Amino acid sequence: MSRKITLNHLTRIEGHAHLVIDKKAGKIESCRLEVIESPRFFEALLKGRHFSDIAPIVARVCGVCSISHSMASLMATENALGIEVDPRAQVLRRLLSQGEILQSHLLQLYFMAVPDYLGIPSIFQLLNRRGDLFGRALRLKRTANRICELIGGRAVHPVTTTIGGFSALPETSELKQLRQDLVGTLPDLEATVELFAGFDFPEFSRPAEQVCLDHSGQYPLHAKRVISSCGIDQSVAQFKASIDEYIVPHSTAKMARTARGHYCVGALARVKNSHRRLSPMAQKVSKALQMDPATDNPFHGLKARLIEVVHYVEEAIHAIDDLLLHSFSRARATAMPKGGGQGVAAVEAPRGLLFHAYSYDQNGLLETADCIIPTAQNLASIEADIESLLPDLLDLPDEQLKQRVETLIRAYDPCLSCSTHQLRITIK
Amino acid sequence: MKTRIGFFDFTGCEGCQLTVMNLEDDLLQVLQLVEVVEFRELMSEEVSALDIAFIEGSITRRQDRERLQAIRARSKTLVALGACADNGGINLLASDQDVAALRRQVYASDAKHLQTETPLPLHKVVKVDYRIPGCPIDGREFLAVLQALLLEREPDLPSFAVCVECKLAEYPCSFDYGEICLGPVTRAGCRAICIAGGDRCRGCRGLVDNPRTSPYHRVLEEQGLNLQDILEQYRIFNIGEE
Amino acid sequence: MSLAEILRFARALMQSYDLVAPRRKKGRITLGTLSDAADLELEFPPSVHSPKKFLFPHWDELFRFKLEGNVLLEAESAAPPRVIFGMHPCDLHAVKILDDCLFEGETDSTYRAKREATLLIGVDCVPDEHCFCTSLGTDRIASGFDLFFHRRDDKYLVQTGSEQGRQLLADHAPETMAREHEAPLALQVKQCKSHLQFPTESLPLLMKDAYEDPIWKRLGDDCLGCGGCTLLCPSCYCFNVQDKLELDLKEGQRVRTWDSCQFDQFAKVSGGDNFRASQSDRQRHRFYRKYKYLWDQHQRTACVGCGRCSRECLAKIKPTEVLNELFCQAPPQQQPTNPGSEYQPQMAKVERIEVISSEDRLFRLKIPEQFTFLPGSFLQVSVFGLGEAPFSIASAPDGTEEIELVVRRAGALTQALHRVRSGDSLGIRGPFGNGYPLEKMQGHDLLLIAGGRGLIALRSLMLALLSQRENYGRITLLCGARSIESLLFQEDLLDWHRSGLVDCRFSVNEQHNSWGIPAVDVSYLLRDLDIDASRTIAAVSGPPEMYRQINPLLFRLGLADEDIYLNLERHIKCGLGKCGKCRINNICVCECGPIFPYSSVKHMAEAIER
Repeated sequence: MSRKITLNHLTRIEGHAHLVIDKKAGKIESCRLEVIESPRFFEALLKGRHFSDIAPIVARVCGVCSISHSMASLMATENALGIEVDPRAQVLRRLLSQGEILQSHLLQLYFMAVPDYLGIPSIFQLLNRRGDLFGRALRLKRTANRICELIGGRAVHPVTTTIGGFSALPETSELKQLRQDLVGTLPDLEATVELFAGFDFPEFSRPAEQVCLDHSGQYPLHAKRVISSCGIDQSVAQFKASIDEYIVPHSTAKMARTARGHYCVGALARVKNSHRRLSPMAQKVSKALQMDPATDNPFHGLKARLIEVVHYVEEAIHAIDDLLLHSFSRARATAMPKGGGQGVAAVEAPRGLLFHAYSYDQNGLLETADCIIPTAQNLASIEADIESLLPDLLDLPDEQLKQRVETLIRAYDPCLSCSTHQLRITIK
Repeated sequence: MKTRIGFFDFTGCEGCQLTVMNLEDDLLQVLQLVEVVEFRELMSEEVSALDIAFIEGSITRRQDRERLQAIRARSKTLVALGACADNGGINLLASDQDVAALRRQVYASDAKHLQTETPLPLHKVVKVDYRIPGCPIDGREFLAVLQALLLEREPDLPSFAVCVECKLAEYPCSFDYGEICLGPVTRAGCRAICIAGGDRCRGCRGLVDNPRTSPYHRVLEEQGLNLQDILEQYRIFNIGEE
Repeated sequence: MSLAEILRFARALMQSYDLVAPRRKKGRITLGTLSDAADLELEFPPSVHSPKKFLFPHWDELFRFKLEGNVLLEAESAAPPRVIFGMHPCDLHAVKILDDCLFEGETDSTYRAKREATLLIGVDCVPDEHCFCTSLGTDRIASGFDLFFHRRDDKYLVQTGSEQGRQLLADHAPETMAREHEAPLALQVKQCKSHLQFPTESLPLLMKDAYEDPIWKRLGDDCLGCGGCTLLCPSCYCFNVQDKLELDLKEGQRVRTWDSCQFDQFAKVSGGDNFRASQSDRQRHRFYRKYKYLWDQHQRTACVGCGRCSRECLAKIKPTEVLNELFCQAPPQQQPTNPGSEYQPQMAKVERIEVISSEDRLFRLKIPEQFTFLPGSFLQVSVFGLGEAPFSIASAPDGTEEIELVVRRAGALTQALHRVRSGDSLGIRGPFGNGYPLEKMQGHDLLLIAGGRGLIALRSLMLALLSQRENYGRITLLCGARSIESLLFQEDLLDWHRSGLVDCRFSVNEQHNSWGIPAVDVSYLLRDLDIDASRTIAAVSGPPEMYRQINPLLFRLGLADEDIYLNLERHIKCGLGKCGKCRINNICVCECGPIFPYSSVKHMAEAIER
């Protein structure tokens, strides 16, 4: 008996994909994650545009990670053109990135993942039944949004970020208020940890290489080196050069691999590789969630995200203290450079490593752009995980099977709008 | 019965739906009046008929056109949500280039499943009843349009330019810093958020009904721009309007 | 009060009031609630928005309602007690305009609530390049504030403008109450870089004829239609009314928001018609609203010269430039040729010299090329080595190449002129200035009043009138002098008297004079005058003290301000409106005068009073 299981328009993920599984005589013939998000050709949109316009345009690659795209883009441009960024502005940029990771993680945890573990189709079902939980989700998200609004000027597609730093700075009083709000999230975070500690995460294991940035002494966010669970320790440019992006016939998203094969990026990779650099509070949460730093279970991506939420709240509070102690004025590059150049930069986006690389001509107009998205680096692993999980699920009715597979996909929090907005020009 | 609303997306970044989700407490209040029956990003449900469909993104493929037409068929009112749906937005930046060539350039392949057409705003495919411009949309404007629809009132967009909101908020003029700003010809409604952030207006909300282009171009020419430069300024978000 | 005392006063005010004052925000000065009294500033250029944003805010709730149809009860005076500390005189004038417009007829209670709950404290301003308050007389103010702080050296003199203001001092700075009253400060003379080249009273007249002027088309072409000018204007108050509902759709508020006549939808009606379809129409409307329509109602402009509109205009539309351009084009400006333009004189030959009194000589000059002028205009005459002096033209503007001037021997220059013989040449520049309005006088009865040498300009006028006698009604000449001896143009006077074309009456100060005329002041001649004031235009020319006596009598006769023309001669140096010597307050006599309708100078302290 053969059957074809198709999940059209996977829900509660960012972007559009179908999952197609062919099964024959109790065996999986094939399993394809078909990303059907339409390609947008961002590289072509950018070509010939002035460097000051690049970040605002690439931010539009993705609404969820617009800040990461802006950051990676600005840094790549700054590297290409040799522009220095004030250390204070770097702190502010980290704070903004922390805000985005909090926004994204909280959205994913509460709005996309929680329904799987409570057995409901959407969080809206909880509106009246579990008002406390819904309210808590909104409160936490509001504080995360506040960070992005205060520092970035807007929660989606930041407006204050600019080459060399920021075009507008928050008032001291606003930073103080934000700090207070962040401290105020702790009871809600405690309740969230309690909620997730009670979830029954499926048992599953598949070893994979976990890759993230490395920032000496700090939990990674914006950094210049890449490390992996297989012992890789390279510069961002070196690692990026080793990535091979390829396309498969069933997907509009590209996939990425290195000579060692497929690898994973994201919260789980960061927590695993940088566990000892987590804040004390996050370490506690890690214990409470019974998170084993050596885990090979992709379902633990949720735990890793929650651990990071606590970590980044704490880091954001420290960043604000730092900013309040060392007041600074307009942090914007004053002299704009002449001449072109090439540059690459990477940031830890909510879903993992994000690379941007540009080259500019003498007039500061973009010649080539290349962007490698976290989800592109995870897609092959997601497919491999599904294939390895399926044999245990084959006896389940279709609905349950679909639900389990979707839960797994959501554990990666794939961002498909991002992954189809390829920038890479590959001329071979 | 509560008004049944749904959110859908095509080619875009989903930032407009995210902006709706970011309405937080206001969203909570709105949810008392409406029933969200479809929202793929947050829900697994699907329904056969809706009162209002909010649709984000541009249309780039045959299957998208069909999906949009199906949504139109089961929706009483259809609202374009954000620049991509309203006028094509940033998706149209490369619209002057050949799609097949772009494909080869970006994917080094011309595989069938990658094939797309020049992105279209929704109104080129189906009848659009109302629109909420911006990249991303302004959450408050979304609420105002939804309110109007719930009261069966015509939603109205500001007919004046972003300059008004700048003046009201007493922001310094971008031109004072030698920045080229599209505020004088761009529809207000964003509370001049980019100017507040020290940036300039790139025109994401599209042009006002009667843009005063010739005096505006004179101002730009005084800043040293030639016609080509001026068109480039419009390009980012306003190809669809030319 | 010292600055420290003022800060203490401000701190005390903050206990009871919302204290609004200028703050620096993103490099701009904006009015806002002060959180620290130490930030109070007393000297600053105009703020971005005027205090309108507190008295007549952009978002103003008119009332609240329930969707089921109930108006919710709410205290009308929801306005918080507020003090605006830092009102410039122009902004205080603007509040008066808002008061005029919003209290007129049905009082706007929403505005009144805020107005009554707000105390206004004035301070002197620091004009910038866009201010032109000195042209509109709004650079100073005598009332309309509760308190006013005038800077004097390193302290401030407090002027109370209302009982509430006095009480504010008594309550919050009681130490000042014991102090002695001090004399008010002499008025500071400010000079704005931007200014009007003509008296504001000319505005309504200027605007009356400018409706079809091509300038509006040009403004319309330049204007971006952003409405910034009206939104920032301290006295523009056009608004829109909208219903805004709460998210639960059960309650709402009816709000008033600022609107702008510059928006393309402003005059659009439901059928789709737009009564001001082009931006030119809209700009013209704005200028008429500011400079004419309100004048017709309240005899003041709706503009206070704060310069906010031009400061923020991306298209660089500046009211002063627009109005000056209109004025320069206006028809009464008959200065088509200026042979001795600028500073270099042209040479004119002396044809004839006639002794017309013991001290006066009449010079008949042959000018190099003919020019047109109105009676009352003057020429600058040069004696190289001694300089230049202005002389009224005594002859008729008859288009010939001969001009007559009267020179009284007084100083070195005039003594030198008396030594000139016929056949010699003199340097002349001109003609300069505005004369008597011959065109306007047509069809009217005319009353000419000359005192002493004032007769020189009036002789020019009389000759002009007589050359076209049929165009005018009754002409009466009242002529006064110290003595018969000093009476100028005796022959002309007798000729006119005998001709019967003119009713001439004379007076001299000396008893038993050779003409046998009463020894009275010229003002006595007005006593038994039988004229029809409604048909009469008066042309008065004489020493300043004469105006002080004559003007009240003319008003008593019933003459209108704008029908009394005065000759306000001043020490004119350059004749080009630049040197400032001949300024009367904010205007230059050489450009706008020396002949003025009384209506345009009555507000100028320097014109007649002294």
